[in-house]
Amino acid sequence: MLTQQGLEYAVHIIKSHFGDLVSKVCKCLLQRGPLTLQALAQRTQLPRDQLKKCLLVLIQHNCVQAFIAAEAEETSDLQRNFVQYIAIFDNILHRSRFSKFLQIAEEQLDGQCEELLKGLLQHGRLTLESVIARAVSQKNEGNSESQDAHRANFVRLVHAHFVERCPTAQPVLEPFAGELLTIEKRAITAAAPSHSERFSVIVDIGSDIDVKNNQRCSSATTGEKACVANVRSKLDVKTGTVLEAILEATRSSEEKVKEEMSVPLSMDTILQEVRGRPEGLEMTLEHVRAALNQLGCVPSLAGTEGLYSIDLKNIIANAQNEEVEAVVLNRYGREAYRIFRLLAKDSRLLETNQISDTTLVDKKEASELLFRLWKDGFLDMERMSSTLPKQATIFLWKVKKDSLWEHVVDTMYHAALNVSQRMDYEREQEQELRQIQPDLMTEALKKRYNRLRRVMLILESSLLKLDDAFMLFNDF
Amino acid sequence: MGRPPSNLPPKRGRPSSSAASQKLSDVEQDVYNLIRSKEGMGIFVGDLKRELKLQDAIVKKSLKVLESQKLIKGVNDVHHKLNKHYMAVEFEASKEITGGSWYVEGKLDAEFIKSLKELCLKLIDKLEVVTVEGLFDYVRRSGCFNDEVSSHQILEILQALVLDNEIEEVKSTGKGVFSSLPLGKVCYHRLTRRNPTTGILSSIPCGVCPRISECTPDGIISPINCVYFKKWLDF
Repeated sequence: MLTQQGLEYAVHIIKSHFGDLVSKVCKCLLQRGPLTLQALAQRTQLPRDQLKKCLLVLIQHNCVQAFIAAEAEETSDLQRNFVQYIAIFDNILHRSRFSKFLQIAEEQLDGQCEELLKGLLQHGRLTLESVIARAVSQKNEGNSESQDAHRANFVRLVHAHFVERCPTAQPVLEPFAGELLTIEKRAITAAAPSHSERFSVIVDIGSDIDVKNNQRCSSATTGEKACVANVRSKLDVKTGTVLEAILEATRSSEEKVKEEMSVPLSMDTILQEVRGRPEGLEMTLEHVRAALNQLGCVPSLAGTEGLYSIDLKNIIANAQNEEVEAVVLNRYGREAYRIFRLLAKDSRLLETNQISDTTLVDKKEASELLFRLWKDGFLDMERMSSTLPKQATIFLWKVKKDSLWEHVVDTMYHAALNVSQRMDYEREQEQELRQIQPDLMTEALKKRYNRLRRVMLILESSLLKLDDAFMLFNDF
Repeated sequence: MGRPPSNLPPKRGRPSSSAASQKLSDVEQDVYNLIRSKEGMGIFVGDLKRELKLQDAIVKKSLKVLESQKLIKGVNDVHHKLNKHYMAVEFEASKEITGGSWYVEGKLDAEFIKSLKELCLKLIDKLEVVTVEGLFDYVRRSGCFNDEVSSHQILEILQALVLDNEIEEVKSTGKGVFSSLPLGKVCYHRLTRRNPTTGILSSIPCGVCPRISECTPDGIISPINCVYFKKWLDF
């Protein structure tokens, strides 16, 4: 979901990773949509060679996709037969998740695979040979055994869908076929190799194939982790463990990354999966049953055995609701929280008095709160003329989820941008501390050093948590 | 607690004017008749003046006489707290005027609601699962509120607690903790969630900032000079 603040945040990420010029090009593409090189040069006022270098950086790091429109389309600005460039917003945001991707690779595979992946994340796209050569040179190994070991690890990364082949450089975008897809999505789909090709790199080891991190898969796992973390904090640790075990057990069998319902599993399989992880060792059948109940998981009877599947869509919807409700509670107070929950429950129009009566909030206060929530974009309001003499206008209220969710996501991007900018500011302010060894610092400097460490820890962990929140609100 | 009983039916009007009203002047009688005709809805002074085409001083004097003879009463309007509705003493003010059973003299009885909520939560904790009728019975037997609480009020309290995210409405399965309740019966139990009210966005100052829409990187309000950030980071 690209909102105004999302755009600003994406540009900030690119600026801090690649500098001002690249971020200028990226901002232009994000704002204007697909552009030809000529149009981009006009809008950015950059010399051709600089512009080309900027585009190459963005393409190398999978933040821009080039394509050619097969036919001019009436409904869009796509120009026929010209190479055009489009920014891939999701991939830009993924850049702030690299530490999470690496952590998952280490947890699911091992440290050596993590190292290989780190090279790809740093360089964007590499040939298979470069990946191996980089790993070899880092460890100062030169023998064929170590090369084989790295290749084997690479195979594991591909099999686990952490790594995939690079997309086609300039795919031809077929005319609009009626599907409601953005040009960005259409360009990505057109550029993507077939499923078998994406993960078939191993067949021809030795050839010079470009590979890149499969950000969609990595982000799906990160998204699942965000979902599990949410359940752990909102429900309890045991329920989170059961959810994690089920998602992990079904991940490989799911074709589509985010299914609405997980693949059905028997109670025996779930128990086995739960007990296979350290935090699930002591969990009994009753614990697992209670956790499944908390997750709203009812067994479906197939054959003789009850099969359980998780309604992931419902879990995510609940997590989203709770996130928005928490904002209302902390920003407007307990009474507004009750009012918002009433209106969000079935998204129907309710009248001020009815709301006040059901929520047990004083009528005048309820009216004031409703107007504040409406002014800040949390509610929709409709006026109706009344036939009653005393009250000429009746106000009806409802939660309009689509626009509100977009508003909340925009605030999240704004918060992430603010936190990132504050981090830059804090670092700049204490630049002199970098020149001095901690053990050579005076008391006053040590105090400043400790403050900076504490502040950076708060800001960094907040940014990671905010990223979890993006995951809950975006398709992962 | 000294709240008036809330579950009594509204009083009905008497068939004719009281004997005292016979001593009234013609104007006072007209004012009284109009007020009485409005029954439980009562009437504003302004509407009274308009309908009878009387001067302000005459209306005020008549109201004073009628109040001193205990023929009429002034009731605060929950929607317009500075205005009073006048109605004949024999009528109970309507819900539109008083705000309903949770209001006393035009004000929401927040203390009473808070006490009742606390008691209900304690009883739900103790009983694990409750129905409206069962909880009503326990509240009455607790002796805390005597006859002040109706079963409809208990239902309203339970619905408010659901909106507070303290309890959950469920249907009895007839098993386990529900074994004493018929299958499908609507009942309520405590939520086991640990901390449902802390969100990710709301744990960051920007998530709850009233000035977020005015905040820009180089603006008067910015993440660099933000007072909420300063408070958050330098606690």
